[in-house]
Formats: sequence, structure tokens, C-alpha cells
Amino acid sequence: MKTLGQITVLFCGGLLLFFTSDFPDFGDANSPASLHLSPYFIENTLKDTAVPNVVTAILADYRGYDTMFETTVILTAGLACFLLLRIPKREVKSRYYLHEPTGVTLRFEGDKYPQKSDVFKRIDSNWVPYDLIINFTCRLLIHFIQIFALYVVAHGHYSPGGGFQGGVVLGASVILFAISGNLRAAIKRFGEKTAALFSAAGVFIYAGTGALCMMIGEHFLNYNFLSPLLGTDRIMARSHGIFIVEIGVAVTVMAVMIWIYYNLSSAGKQDEGL
Amino acid sequence: MIVYISGILIAGGLFFFLVGSIGMIRLPDFYSRLQAAGIIDTMGLLLSMSGLAILALNEFTLGNFLSALKIIFIVVFVFLTGPTATHAIVDAGIRAGLKPWQKK
Repeated sequence: MKTLGQITVLFCGGLLLFFTSDFPDFGDANSPASLHLSPYFIENTLKDTAVPNVVTAILADYRGYDTMFETTVILTAGLACFLLLRIPKREVKSRYYLHEPTGVTLRFEGDKYPQKSDVFKRIDSNWVPYDLIINFTCRLLIHFIQIFALYVVAHGHYSPGGGFQGGVVLGASVILFAISGNLRAAIKRFGEKTAALFSAAGVFIYAGTGALCMMIGEHFLNYNFLSPLLGTDRIMARSHGIFIVEIGVAVTVMAVMIWIYYNLSSAGKQDEGL
Repeated sequence: MIVYISGILIAGGLFFFLVGSIGMIRLPDFYSRLQAAGIIDTMGLLLSMSGLAILALNEFTLGNFLSALKIIFIVVFVFLTGPTATHAIVDAGIRAGLKPWQKK
């Protein structure tokens, strides 16, 4: 099995290397990209899509298929991490509880542990005490980080940004919460099922937008024909279509970031972790 | 005039960056190196960024004002996060049992 995998990897790598020689040289002035593609995009993006940022327009409109499968690749990465790392059955050999009035830490084995107690607080084996400075700063900043993430997603039409970047920032805010507090508190707020559902929902939003265009009777991911639904003219409909698709990308990236962090930081147990 | 003020401020910021980077290499142990890194976060960034903000306001328009405001936001957020990060790293060092360096 291992040999088979190695042969496949070497074969695919060899194919990639072999066909790289057919590519035009780097910076070649006669390559198709610099002859007619780039000038077309630079001249016509604003006319076609009403989006001033050429990069966003190319990413989500002219090459919408490419980005859709990029989003799918991210979903696959999250799934692969989940399938490789997640331990299906939670086997708890011992739990640590802090007796708050005395400050003594007790270790319970087996099924006997205090349930819903006011004096006992469950802690991890690598637990660190509550730190006021770190907790306060992180709680203060998380709101700003999330607002900035939404700004990055929504402002991708006009400035650097977009779904991938905004999604990463949004995911980082939840990861910051998990680092500054503990993993269980973060999972209570943004659970594993939510992460799994959101990461699939983002791809669904993207592909669903394309399918909606098809249902109206035009090409897949041709946002022009969403104009009756969105109530705008055909060029603005492309701009709005790009925005809808970017939201899908952001949702997927955010959920997958958080999901991978949960699995990696707790070695798949999602019970005790950083 | 504004160009000269901002130039002096940026030069002062760069001086603190230089001091901080030399300190990060030359100081004897983990904690004192972190202290040098903290200088970069606070004084170096404060001076150079305020120099850039003043330079952005050279011609007063709405766009320039907004970019100056964004630079000031960067300073505010780094002022909040930088010392916190230094605090967390020092805390982790103490907890892991690293003893501060002492002159023999």
C-alpha cells in the first residue's frame, strides 16, 4: 500500500515536471497571458463587472470555476484532518478537577467524577491559571478582529481582500479565543458540528449560486442572469454575484481553519487541549 | 516643514528599531532579549508610524485623513497586543522553569 502510494506520487510529480517544459518562460512577452489576456482584463473588467479591483473580478468571475474548486480543496483539507486525527470514541481515563475553595487539584479515575458542581472546576492536564491581562486583551480585541474580517470580505471589490483573507481573519479570532481561554470554552461557542456544517455550507453557497444561474437557463456561474433576482442591471448583478460567492468562500475558510485547529491542538480528542 | 518633522520622527523610530535588533542578538538571555524586542514594538513603531501619519496628512484630503487614521489604529492595536504577547511569553518562560540570567 505504501509502495503504491509512493509510485503514484512519483508518477504524478514526474508528469507535472515533464509538462512544465511546455509552459512559456517566466516573463515571456509573447506568451498568451501577456499578449491578449492581461490587456483584456485591464481594459474591460470595470465595463464587464463594475468591480474596480481586477484581481477580485478575475478570481471570482472570469475564473469562477477555479476558485470554486479551490474552496473545495480547502473543505477537503479540513475533512482530511478530521478523518486522520479525530479519535472516534472518547476514552477518558482520568479527569482533573480543581477544588476552588482550597485550590487543590484532584485526579478522578473511571466514571466517578463530580458532575455540575459549584466548587469543582474541570481543568486540563496542561492547564494554566486564569491570566487577567491576556484574557482581557484577547476579549477586547476579538470584536475588532471580527469587524475587520467582515470589512475585508465586503471590501474585496475595492481594495486587497476578499473571501479567503477575510475568512482566515475570522477563523483566527475564534482560535485566539481558544488560545487565550481554553479549548472546551471555544468548542462550547463554536462546536465541531457547526464547523463541519459551515465548511460544507460555504461550498454549497458557491456552487448553489452557479446552479441558480443554470436554473434560470444560462451558463454555470454566469452572474449576469441573476439580475432579475437581485433587482439590478446585468453588470451590477455580476458585482453582487461576486460578493455572494466571496461570502461562501469566507464561510468555508473560517470553519475549516477552526476545525483544523481543534483537531490539531487536542490531537483529535477535542476534549483536552491548548 | 511637515516632511522634515516626519523625517525626524521616522529616523527616531528607525534608531529604536536598530537598538532593539542589536539587543535581541547581544543580550545574554531570553528575558532580556524579550525586553529588547519590546522596544521595537513600542517606541520604534510609535515614532515611525506617527511620522508616516504626519506625512500622509501633508495634503489634507479625506482620503489622506483616512489613511492617517488607519496608521494610528495600527499603533493603538500594536500597543495593546505587543506588551500582552511579551507578557504571555515571559509567563510561559517562568512556568517552564527558565531562570533569569545573573552575573557570576
